[in-house]
Amino acid sequence: MLGKLMKYEWKATWKLLLSANILTVVMTGLARCMVYLMGQTGHSDFRMVDFMAVMVLFTYVGSMFAVCIGTTIYLIHRFYTSTYGDQGYLLHTLPVDTHHIIIAKVLVSSAWVIINMVSIYLSVIFLLATSSEIFHSMMEGMVDMIEYLGAERISAFTVIMTLIAFIFSIFAKVLKVGACISLGQLSPNHKLLLSFAWYVGIYVVEQMLQSIYFVVTIYFQEKISHSDYWNYGSYFDRQWETALLAGIISCVVYYVLTWYVMGRKLNLD
Amino acid sequence: MAPVVQCMGLTKTYGRKIALNQINLNLERGRIIGLLGPNGSGKTTLIKIMNGLLKPTAGEVLINGQRPGVDTKLRISYLPERTYLQPGMKVLELVQYFQDFYPDFRVDRAFDMLARLQIPPQERLKNLSKGTKEKVQLIMVMSRDADLYILDEPIAGVDPAARDYILHTIVNNYNRCGSILVSTHLISDVENILDEVVFIKYGSIVLHAGAEQIRRNERKSVDQFFREVFAC
Repeated sequence: MLGKLMKYEWKATWKLLLSANILTVVMTGLARCMVYLMGQTGHSDFRMVDFMAVMVLFTYVGSMFAVCIGTTIYLIHRFYTSTYGDQGYLLHTLPVDTHHIIIAKVLVSSAWVIINMVSIYLSVIFLLATSSEIFHSMMEGMVDMIEYLGAERISAFTVIMTLIAFIFSIFAKVLKVGACISLGQLSPNHKLLLSFAWYVGIYVVEQMLQSIYFVVTIYFQEKISHSDYWNYGSYFDRQWETALLAGIISCVVYYVLTWYVMGRKLNLD
Repeated sequence: MAPVVQCMGLTKTYGRKIALNQINLNLERGRIIGLLGPNGSGKTTLIKIMNGLLKPTAGEVLINGQRPGVDTKLRISYLPERTYLQPGMKVLELVQYFQDFYPDFRVDRAFDMLARLQIPPQERLKNLSKGTKEKVQLIMVMSRDADLYILDEPIAGVDPAARDYILHTIVNNYNRCGSILVSTHLISDVENILDEVVFIKYGSIVLHAGAEQIRRNERKSVDQFFREVFAC
Protein backbone atom coordinates (compact mmCIF):
# COMPACT_ATOMS: atom_id res chain seq x y z
CA MET A 1 0.00 0.00 0.00
CA LEU A 2 2.95 2.37 0.59
CA GLY A 3 3.70 2.41 -3.14
CA LYS A 4 0.08 3.24 -3.97
CA LEU A 5 -0.06 6.02 -1.41
CA MET A 6 3.16 7.50 -2.81
CA LYS A 7 1.82 7.24 -6.35
CA TYR A 8 -1.32 9.21 -5.49
CA GLU A 9 0.59 11.71 -3.36
CA TRP A 10 2.89 12.32 -6.31
CA LYS A 11 -0.05 12.59 -8.71
CA ALA A 12 -1.74 15.15 -6.45
CA THR A 13 1.34 17.39 -6.25
CA TRP A 14 3.32 17.09 -9.46
CA LYS A 15 1.38 19.51 -11.65
CA LEU A 16 1.76 22.60 -9.50
CA LEU A 17 5.27 21.84 -8.33
CA LEU A 18 6.49 20.96 -11.79
CA SER A 19 5.03 24.28 -12.98
CA ALA A 20 7.13 26.02 -10.33
CA ASN A 21 10.23 24.31 -11.66
CA ILE A 22 9.32 25.21 -15.24
CA LEU A 23 9.03 28.81 -14.07
CA THR A 24 12.58 28.51 -12.70
CA VAL A 25 13.82 27.30 -16.10
CA VAL A 26 11.99 30.04 -18.01
CA MET A 27 13.21 32.79 -15.67
CA THR A 28 16.76 31.43 -15.89
CA GLY A 29 16.59 31.54 -19.69
CA LEU A 30 15.22 35.10 -19.66
CA ALA A 31 17.79 36.27 -17.14
CA ARG A 32 20.60 34.71 -19.13
CA CYS A 33 19.44 36.46 -22.31
CA MET A 34 19.35 39.76 -20.49
CA VAL A 35 22.82 39.28 -19.01
CA TYR A 36 24.06 38.49 -22.52
CA LEU A 37 22.41 41.62 -23.96
CA MET A 38 23.89 43.74 -21.19
CA GLY A 39 27.33 42.38 -22.06
CA GLN A 40 26.82 43.32 -25.70
CA THR A 41 25.87 46.94 -25.02
CA GLY A 42 28.89 47.65 -22.81
CA HIS A 43 29.00 49.71 -19.66
CA SER A 44 29.49 53.20 -21.07
CA ASP A 45 25.88 54.35 -21.17
CA PHE A 46 22.71 53.16 -19.51
CA ARG A 47 20.10 52.31 -22.14
CA MET A 48 16.63 50.80 -22.30
CA VAL A 49 17.99 47.28 -22.66
CA ASP A 50 20.01 47.73 -19.46
CA PHE A 51 16.90 48.88 -17.62
CA MET A 52 14.99 45.85 -18.87
CA ALA A 53 17.83 43.53 -17.91
CA VAL A 54 17.90 44.90 -14.38
CA MET A 55 14.13 44.45 -14.11
CA VAL A 56 14.33 40.88 -15.42
CA LEU A 57 17.12 40.06 -12.98
CA PHE A 58 15.06 41.45 -10.10
CA THR A 59 12.10 39.37 -11.30
CA TYR A 60 14.40 36.35 -11.54
CA VAL A 61 15.56 36.72 -7.93
CA GLY A 62 11.95 37.31 -6.83
CA SER A 63 10.70 34.25 -8.70
CA MET A 64 13.37 32.06 -7.09
CA PHE A 65 12.18 33.19 -3.66
CA ALA A 66 8.56 32.70 -4.75
CA VAL A 67 9.29 29.15 -5.92
CA CYS A 68 11.00 28.29 -2.61
CA ILE A 69 8.35 29.86 -0.38
CA GLY A 70 5.45 28.81 -2.62
CA THR A 71 6.57 25.18 -2.61
CA THR A 72 6.90 25.18 1.17
CA ILE A 73 3.45 26.74 1.68
CA TYR A 74 1.87 24.40 -0.85
CA LEU A 75 3.36 21.30 0.78
CA ILE A 76 2.21 22.44 4.23
CA HIS A 77 -1.28 23.18 2.89
CA ARG A 78 -1.37 19.84 1.11
CA PHE A 79 -0.36 17.97 4.28
CA TYR A 80 -3.01 19.77 6.32
CA THR A 81 -5.94 19.43 3.90
CA SER A 82 -5.24 15.86 2.87
CA THR A 83 -4.61 14.64 6.41
CA TYR A 84 -6.79 16.68 8.75
CA GLY A 85 -9.10 18.52 6.33
CA ASP A 86 -12.04 17.11 4.36
CA GLN A 87 -9.78 14.84 2.28
CA GLY A 88 -8.61 13.28 5.54
CA TYR A 89 -11.97 11.50 5.68
CA LEU A 90 -10.94 9.48 2.65
CA LEU A 91 -7.28 9.07 3.65
CA HIS A 92 -8.03 7.79 7.14
CA THR A 93 -10.71 5.37 5.98
CA LEU A 94 -8.38 3.72 3.48
CA PRO A 95 -7.25 0.26 4.63
CA VAL A 96 -3.66 1.43 5.12
CA ASP A 97 -1.36 1.62 8.09
CA THR A 98 -0.71 5.01 9.70
CA HIS A 99 3.04 4.44 9.25
CA HIS A 100 2.54 4.14 5.49
CA ILE A 101 0.56 7.39 5.37
CA ILE A 102 3.31 9.31 7.17
CA ILE A 103 6.17 7.73 5.20
CA ALA A 104 4.45 8.37 1.84
CA LYS A 105 3.88 12.03 2.66
CA VAL A 106 7.39 12.58 4.00
CA LEU A 107 9.13 10.90 1.06
CA VAL A 108 7.13 12.74 -1.62
CA SER A 109 7.39 16.15 0.11
CA SER A 110 11.12 15.67 0.70
CA ALA A 111 11.59 14.67 -2.94
CA TRP A 112 9.98 17.94 -4.03
CA VAL A 113 12.08 19.99 -1.62
CA ILE A 114 15.25 18.37 -3.03
CA ILE A 115 14.09 18.79 -6.66
CA ASN A 116 13.39 22.47 -6.04
CA MET A 117 16.71 22.99 -4.31
CA VAL A 118 18.65 21.32 -7.12
CA SER A 119 16.77 23.23 -9.82
CA ILE A 120 17.49 26.56 -8.12
CA TYR A 121 21.19 25.71 -7.60
CA LEU A 122 21.48 24.65 -11.24
CA SER A 123 19.71 27.82 -12.33
CA VAL A 124 22.17 30.03 -10.45
CA ILE A 125 25.18 28.07 -11.77
CA PHE A 126 23.78 28.29 -15.30
CA LEU A 127 23.28 32.04 -14.96
CA LEU A 128 26.78 32.58 -13.62
CA ALA A 129 28.16 30.51 -16.50
CA THR A 130 27.15 33.32 -18.86
CA SER A 131 29.74 35.51 -17.26
CA SER A 132 32.99 33.79 -18.18
CA GLU A 133 34.99 35.66 -15.52
CA ILE A 134 32.72 34.70 -12.64
CA PHE A 135 32.32 31.16 -13.94
CA HIS A 136 36.06 30.62 -14.34
CA SER A 137 36.70 31.97 -10.85
CA MET A 138 33.98 29.71 -9.50
CA MET A 139 35.36 26.64 -11.25
CA GLU A 140 38.89 27.42 -10.09
CA GLY A 141 37.61 27.84 -6.56
CA MET A 142 35.85 24.48 -6.73
CA VAL A 143 38.95 22.72 -8.09
CA ASP A 144 41.05 24.30 -5.31
CA MET A 145 38.50 23.20 -2.73
CA ILE A 146 38.44 19.61 -4.01
CA GLU A 147 42.26 19.46 -4.05
CA TYR A 148 42.41 20.94 -0.58
CA LEU A 149 39.85 18.54 0.83
CA GLY A 150 41.70 15.65 -0.84
CA ALA A 151 44.95 16.77 0.71
CA GLU A 152 43.23 16.85 4.08
CA ARG A 153 42.25 13.17 3.65
CA ILE A 154 38.52 13.81 3.30
CA SER A 155 37.37 10.56 1.81
CA ALA A 156 34.52 9.85 -0.60
CA PHE A 157 32.89 8.14 2.36
CA THR A 158 32.80 11.43 4.27
CA VAL A 159 31.28 13.23 1.28
CA ILE A 160 28.61 10.53 0.87
CA MET A 161 27.82 10.56 4.57
CA THR A 162 27.55 14.37 4.49
CA LEU A 163 25.01 14.05 1.67
CA ILE A 164 23.07 11.43 3.65
CA ALA A 165 23.09 13.73 6.68
CA PHE A 166 21.76 16.52 4.45
CA ILE A 167 18.91 14.29 3.20
CA PHE A 168 18.04 13.34 6.78
CA SER A 169 17.94 17.04 7.68
CA ILE A 170 15.32 17.53 4.94
CA PHE A 171 13.28 14.58 6.22
CA ALA A 172 13.50 16.11 9.70
CA LYS A 173 12.26 19.51 8.46
CA VAL A 174 9.29 17.93 6.67
CA LEU A 175 8.48 15.73 9.66
CA LYS A 176 8.74 18.73 12.00
CA VAL A 177 5.99 20.52 10.05
CA GLY A 178 3.90 17.33 10.05
CA ALA A 179 4.40 16.89 13.79
CA CYS A 180 3.43 20.51 14.55
CA ILE A 181 0.27 20.30 12.40
CA SER A 182 -0.58 16.98 14.09
CA LEU A 183 0.03 18.32 17.59
CA GLY A 184 -2.22 21.28 16.74
CA GLN A 185 -5.05 18.78 16.23
CA LEU A 186 -5.03 18.08 19.97
CA SER A 187 -6.74 21.43 20.51
CA PRO A 188 -10.53 21.24 20.22
CA ASN A 189 -10.93 24.76 18.83
CA HIS A 190 -7.73 26.51 17.76
CA LYS A 191 -5.93 23.81 15.80
CA LEU A 192 -3.96 26.04 13.42
CA LEU A 193 -2.96 28.45 16.17
CA LEU A 194 -1.74 25.59 18.34
CA SER A 195 0.19 24.13 15.37
CA PHE A 196 1.96 27.46 14.92
CA ALA A 197 2.66 27.68 18.66
CA TRP A 198 4.17 24.18 18.59
CA TYR A 199 6.37 25.17 15.65
CA VAL A 200 7.66 28.26 17.44
CA GLY A 201 8.23 26.27 20.64
CA ILE A 202 10.11 23.49 18.87
CA TYR A 203 12.16 26.04 16.90
CA VAL A 204 13.23 27.78 20.13
CA VAL A 205 14.22 24.47 21.74
CA GLU A 206 16.18 23.47 18.61
CA GLN A 207 18.05 26.80 18.60
CA MET A 208 18.90 26.42 22.26
CA LEU A 209 20.25 22.91 21.76
CA GLN A 210 22.21 24.07 18.72
CA SER A 211 23.74 26.97 20.68
CA ILE A 212 24.77 24.65 23.52
CA TYR A 213 26.34 22.30 20.97
CA PHE A 214 28.32 25.13 19.33
CA VAL A 215 29.60 26.46 22.64
CA VAL A 216 30.76 23.00 23.70
CA THR A 217 32.30 22.31 20.27
CA ILE A 218 34.22 25.61 20.21
CA TYR A 219 35.51 24.96 23.71
CA PHE A 220 36.86 21.53 22.75
CA GLN A 221 38.14 22.72 19.36
CA GLU A 222 40.29 25.33 21.03
CA LYS A 223 41.81 22.63 23.18
CA ILE A 224 42.38 20.31 20.22
CA SER A 225 43.76 23.03 17.95
CA HIS A 226 46.66 23.51 20.34
CA SER A 227 47.63 19.88 19.94
CA ASP A 228 49.40 18.34 16.91
CA TYR A 229 46.44 16.26 15.79
CA TRP A 230 44.21 19.03 14.40
CA ASN A 231 43.27 18.62 10.74
CA TYR A 232 40.30 19.39 8.56
CA GLY A 233 39.71 15.71 7.83
CA SER A 234 38.86 14.91 11.40
CA TYR A 235 36.89 18.18 11.65
CA PHE A 236 34.65 17.22 8.67
CA ASP A 237 34.27 13.71 10.04
CA ARG A 238 32.91 15.13 13.26
CA GLN A 239 30.58 17.46 11.33
CA TRP A 240 28.80 14.79 9.34
CA GLU A 241 28.59 12.49 12.32
CA THR A 242 26.93 15.20 14.40
CA ALA A 243 24.65 16.33 11.56
CA LEU A 244 23.56 12.76 10.81
CA LEU A 245 22.96 12.01 14.47
CA ALA A 246 20.95 15.22 14.92
CA GLY A 247 18.97 14.46 11.73
CA ILE A 248 18.15 10.91 12.80
CA ILE A 249 17.16 11.93 16.33
CA SER A 250 14.95 14.74 14.96
CA CYS A 251 13.33 12.37 12.44
CA VAL A 252 12.57 9.80 15.15
CA VAL A 253 11.14 12.39 17.58
CA TYR A 254 8.95 14.15 14.98
CA TYR A 255 7.86 10.85 13.42
CA VAL A 256 6.76 9.43 16.77
CA LEU A 257 4.84 12.63 17.59
CA THR A 258 3.06 12.58 14.20
CA TRP A 259 2.28 8.87 14.48
CA TYR A 260 1.03 9.27 18.06
CA VAL A 261 -1.53 11.92 17.10
CA MET A 262 -2.53 10.35 13.78
CA GLY A 263 -2.73 6.81 15.09
CA ARG A 264 -3.80 7.21 18.69
CA LYS A 265 -5.44 10.63 19.06
CA LEU A 266 -7.09 11.22 15.69
CA ASN A 267 -10.07 13.54 16.08
CA LEU A 268 -11.36 14.73 12.72
CA ASP A 269 -13.91 17.51 13.09
CA MET B 1 -22.24 -15.16 13.75
CA ALA B 2 -21.20 -12.10 15.77
CA PRO B 3 -23.02 -8.81 15.12
CA VAL B 4 -21.40 -6.59 12.52
CA VAL B 5 -21.23 -3.73 15.06
CA GLN B 6 -20.88 -4.01 18.83
CA CYS B 7 -20.71 -0.89 20.98
CA MET B 8 -19.93 -1.41 24.65
CA GLY B 9 -20.18 1.51 27.04
CA LEU B 10 -19.08 3.84 24.27
CA THR B 11 -18.54 7.36 25.55
CA LYS B 12 -17.15 10.45 23.87
CA THR B 13 -16.69 13.80 25.53
CA TYR B 14 -15.41 17.13 24.23
CA GLY B 15 -14.20 18.91 27.33
CA ARG B 16 -17.27 18.99 29.58
CA LYS B 17 -19.69 18.31 26.75
CA ILE B 18 -20.86 14.71 26.46
CA ALA B 19 -21.35 13.74 22.82
CA LEU B 20 -21.97 10.03 23.44
CA ASN B 21 -23.02 8.63 26.78
CA GLN B 22 -22.48 4.92 27.55
CA ILE B 23 -23.75 3.60 24.22
CA ASN B 24 -24.47 -0.13 24.16
CA LEU B 25 -25.59 -1.26 20.73
CA ASN B 26 -25.44 -4.40 18.58
CA LEU B 27 -26.22 -4.26 14.86
CA GLU B 28 -26.95 -7.51 13.04
CA ARG B 29 -25.96 -8.49 9.51
CA GLY B 30 -28.13 -8.17 6.42
CA ARG B 31 -30.21 -5.31 7.80
CA ILE B 32 -30.83 -1.69 6.77
CA ILE B 33 -30.69 0.32 9.95
CA GLY B 34 -31.67 3.95 10.38
CA LEU B 35 -29.67 5.95 12.90
CA LEU B 36 -32.21 8.65 13.60
CA GLY B 37 -31.90 11.72 15.72
CA PRO B 38 -32.03 15.50 15.56
CA ASN B 39 -29.00 17.62 14.74
CA GLY B 40 -26.36 17.41 17.46
CA SER B 41 -27.67 14.17 18.92
CA GLY B 42 -24.39 12.29 18.39
CA LYS B 43 -25.07 10.42 15.12
CA THR B 44 -21.96 11.63 13.33
CA THR B 45 -19.77 11.17 16.40
CA LEU B 46 -20.88 7.53 16.67
CA ILE B 47 -20.26 6.98 12.97
CA LYS B 48 -16.81 8.57 13.09
CA ILE B 49 -15.80 6.34 15.99
CA MET B 50 -16.91 3.28 14.01
CA ASN B 51 -14.70 4.44 11.14
CA GLY B 52 -11.70 5.18 13.33
CA LEU B 53 -11.84 8.92 12.63
CA LEU B 54 -12.46 9.69 16.29
CA LYS B 55 -11.14 7.96 19.38
CA PRO B 56 -13.67 7.21 22.13
CA THR B 57 -13.11 8.63 25.60
CA ALA B 58 -14.29 5.35 27.16
CA GLY B 59 -15.75 2.03 26.08
CA GLU B 60 -15.12 0.40 22.75
CA VAL B 61 -16.62 -0.43 19.39
CA LEU B 62 -16.01 -3.65 17.51
CA ILE B 63 -16.62 -4.12 13.79
CA ASN B 64 -16.74 -7.81 12.83
CA GLY B 65 -15.33 -8.44 16.30
CA GLN B 66 -12.30 -6.16 15.74
CA ARG B 67 -11.39 -2.69 16.93
CA PRO B 68 -11.31 -0.02 14.16
CA GLY B 69 -8.13 -0.47 12.15
CA VAL B 70 -6.83 -1.57 8.78
CA ASP B 71 -8.89 -4.79 8.79
CA THR B 72 -12.19 -3.09 9.66
CA LYS B 73 -11.58 -0.37 7.05
CA LEU B 74 -11.34 -3.12 4.46
CA ARG B 75 -14.89 -4.15 5.34
CA ILE B 76 -16.59 -0.76 5.90
CA SER B 77 -17.74 1.47 3.06
CA TYR B 78 -18.21 4.95 4.46
CA LEU B 79 -19.99 7.96 3.01
CA PRO B 80 -19.26 11.04 5.13
CA GLU B 81 -21.52 14.06 5.33
CA ARG B 82 -18.96 16.16 3.45
CA THR B 83 -17.14 15.95 0.13
CA TYR B 84 -13.78 14.29 0.59
CA LEU B 85 -12.73 14.23 -3.05
CA GLN B 86 -9.64 15.88 -4.50
CA PRO B 87 -11.02 18.56 -6.83
CA GLY B 88 -8.27 18.15 -9.42
CA MET B 89 -8.97 14.45 -9.91
CA LYS B 90 -10.89 13.09 -12.88
CA VAL B 91 -13.83 10.74 -12.24
CA LEU B 92 -11.87 7.95 -13.93
CA GLU B 93 -8.88 8.56 -11.64
CA LEU B 94 -11.19 8.35 -8.65
CA VAL B 95 -12.49 4.99 -9.84
CA GLN B 96 -8.87 3.79 -10.21
CA TYR B 97 -8.09 5.15 -6.74
CA PHE B 98 -10.89 3.11 -5.15
CA GLN B 99 -9.95 0.07 -7.22
CA ASP B 100 -6.32 0.36 -6.04
CA PHE B 101 -7.14 0.52 -2.34
CA TYR B 102 -10.30 -1.58 -1.94
CA PRO B 103 -10.16 -5.19 -3.15
CA ASP B 104 -13.99 -5.39 -2.96
CA PHE B 105 -14.51 -2.45 -5.33
CA ARG B 106 -16.53 -3.38 -8.44
CA VAL B 107 -15.38 -1.25 -11.38
CA ASP B 108 -18.14 -2.42 -13.71
CA ARG B 109 -20.79 -1.46 -11.15
CA ALA B 110 -19.25 1.99 -10.75
CA PHE B 111 -19.09 2.64 -14.50
CA ASP B 112 -22.63 1.38 -14.92
CA MET B 113 -23.95 3.83 -12.31
CA LEU B 114 -21.86 6.69 -13.75
CA ALA B 115 -23.21 5.96 -17.24
CA ARG B 116 -26.80 6.01 -15.98
CA LEU B 117 -26.20 9.48 -14.58
CA GLN B 118 -24.36 10.50 -17.75
CA ILE B 119 -21.26 11.52 -15.79
CA PRO B 120 -18.28 11.44 -18.18
CA PRO B 121 -15.32 9.54 -16.66
CA GLN B 122 -12.91 12.11 -18.12
CA GLU B 123 -14.61 15.00 -16.30
CA ARG B 124 -12.70 16.63 -13.46
CA LEU B 125 -14.47 16.63 -10.10
CA LYS B 126 -14.03 20.38 -9.71
CA ASN B 127 -16.18 20.90 -12.83
CA LEU B 128 -19.11 18.95 -11.39
CA SER B 129 -21.95 20.51 -9.42
CA LYS B 130 -22.14 19.90 -5.67
CA GLY B 131 -25.03 17.49 -6.13
CA THR B 132 -23.22 15.52 -8.84
CA LYS B 133 -20.09 15.30 -6.68
CA GLU B 134 -22.20 13.83 -3.90
CA LYS B 135 -23.65 11.31 -6.32
CA VAL B 136 -20.17 10.36 -7.55
CA GLN B 137 -19.11 9.85 -3.94
CA LEU B 138 -22.16 7.69 -3.29
CA ILE B 139 -21.44 5.64 -6.42
CA MET B 140 -17.90 4.96 -5.18
CA VAL B 141 -19.18 3.87 -1.79
CA MET B 142 -21.97 1.65 -3.15
CA SER B 143 -19.67 0.03 -5.73
CA ARG B 144 -17.99 -1.91 -2.94
CA ASP B 145 -19.07 -5.32 -1.64
CA ALA B 146 -18.64 -4.30 1.98
CA ASP B 147 -19.87 -5.93 5.19
CA LEU B 148 -21.07 -2.58 6.48
CA TYR B 149 -22.09 0.55 4.61
CA ILE B 150 -22.15 3.61 6.82
CA LEU B 151 -23.92 6.52 5.18
CA ASP B 152 -23.91 9.79 7.09
CA GLU B 153 -26.78 12.07 6.06
CA PRO B 154 -26.80 10.88 2.41
CA ILE B 155 -29.97 12.78 1.52
CA ALA B 156 -29.45 16.00 3.47
CA GLY B 157 -29.37 19.12 1.32
CA VAL B 158 -30.47 17.52 -1.96
CA ASP B 159 -33.68 17.99 -3.91
CA PRO B 160 -36.47 15.33 -3.77
CA ALA B 161 -35.57 13.89 -7.18
CA ALA B 162 -31.97 13.43 -6.11
CA ARG B 163 -33.16 11.83 -2.86
CA ASP B 164 -35.06 9.22 -4.85
CA TYR B 165 -31.99 8.50 -6.95
CA ILE B 166 -29.79 8.18 -3.85
CA LEU B 167 -32.18 5.83 -2.06
CA HIS B 168 -32.66 3.79 -5.22
CA THR B 169 -28.87 3.50 -5.62
CA ILE B 170 -28.43 2.41 -2.01
CA VAL B 171 -31.15 -0.23 -2.08
CA ASN B 172 -30.16 -1.71 -5.44
CA ASN B 173 -26.41 -1.86 -5.07
CA TYR B 174 -25.47 -2.96 -1.59
CA ASN B 175 -24.00 -6.34 -0.73
CA ARG B 176 -27.00 -8.36 0.48
CA CYS B 177 -24.90 -10.13 3.11
CA GLY B 178 -23.86 -6.78 4.55
CA SER B 179 -25.68 -4.16 6.60
CA ILE B 180 -26.40 -0.53 5.95
CA LEU B 181 -26.33 2.06 8.71
CA VAL B 182 -27.89 5.25 7.42
CA SER B 183 -27.99 8.35 9.59
CA THR B 184 -30.56 11.02 8.91
CA HIS B 185 -33.11 13.32 10.42
CA LEU B 186 -35.28 13.17 7.28
CA ILE B 187 -37.24 10.13 8.41
CA SER B 188 -40.16 10.17 5.98
CA ASP B 189 -37.82 9.84 2.99
CA VAL B 190 -35.96 6.78 4.27
CA GLU B 191 -38.65 5.11 6.36
CA ASN B 192 -39.72 2.66 3.66
CA ILE B 193 -36.30 1.13 3.18
CA LEU B 194 -35.47 0.62 6.87
CA ASP B 195 -35.56 -2.74 8.66
CA GLU B 196 -34.55 -1.32 12.03
CA VAL B 197 -34.30 2.08 13.64
CA VAL B 198 -32.06 3.43 16.37
CA PHE B 199 -33.21 6.65 18.01
CA ILE B 200 -30.41 8.70 19.49
CA LYS B 201 -30.96 11.73 21.71
CA TYR B 202 -28.37 13.80 23.60
CA GLY B 203 -25.78 11.11 23.00
CA SER B 204 -27.87 8.24 24.37
CA ILE B 205 -29.78 5.48 22.60
CA VAL B 206 -33.45 5.91 23.49
CA LEU B 207 -34.85 3.19 21.22
CA HIS B 208 -33.63 0.30 19.09
CA ALA B 209 -36.47 -1.56 17.42
CA GLY B 210 -37.71 -2.94 14.11
CA ALA B 211 -39.43 -0.43 11.82
CA GLU B 212 -42.34 -2.78 11.32
CA GLN B 213 -42.58 -3.37 15.07
CA ILE B 214 -42.96 0.39 15.66
CA ARG B 215 -45.64 0.69 13.01
CA ARG B 216 -47.52 -2.30 14.48
CA ASN B 217 -47.19 -1.47 18.18
CA GLU B 218 -47.52 2.31 18.00
CA ARG B 219 -49.99 2.34 15.09
CA LYS B 220 -48.12 5.18 13.47
CA SER B 221 -45.32 5.66 11.00
CA VAL B 222 -41.71 5.82 12.17
CA ASP B 223 -41.69 9.48 11.16
CA GLN B 224 -44.72 10.27 13.35
CA PHE B 225 -43.28 8.30 16.24
CA PHE B 226 -39.94 10.09 15.82
CA ARG B 227 -41.68 13.48 16.02
CA GLU B 228 -43.39 12.35 19.21
CA VAL B 229 -40.21 11.11 20.87
CA PHE B 230 -38.18 14.15 19.86
CA ALA B 231 -40.88 16.78 20.40
CA CYS B 232 -39.36 19.99 21.77
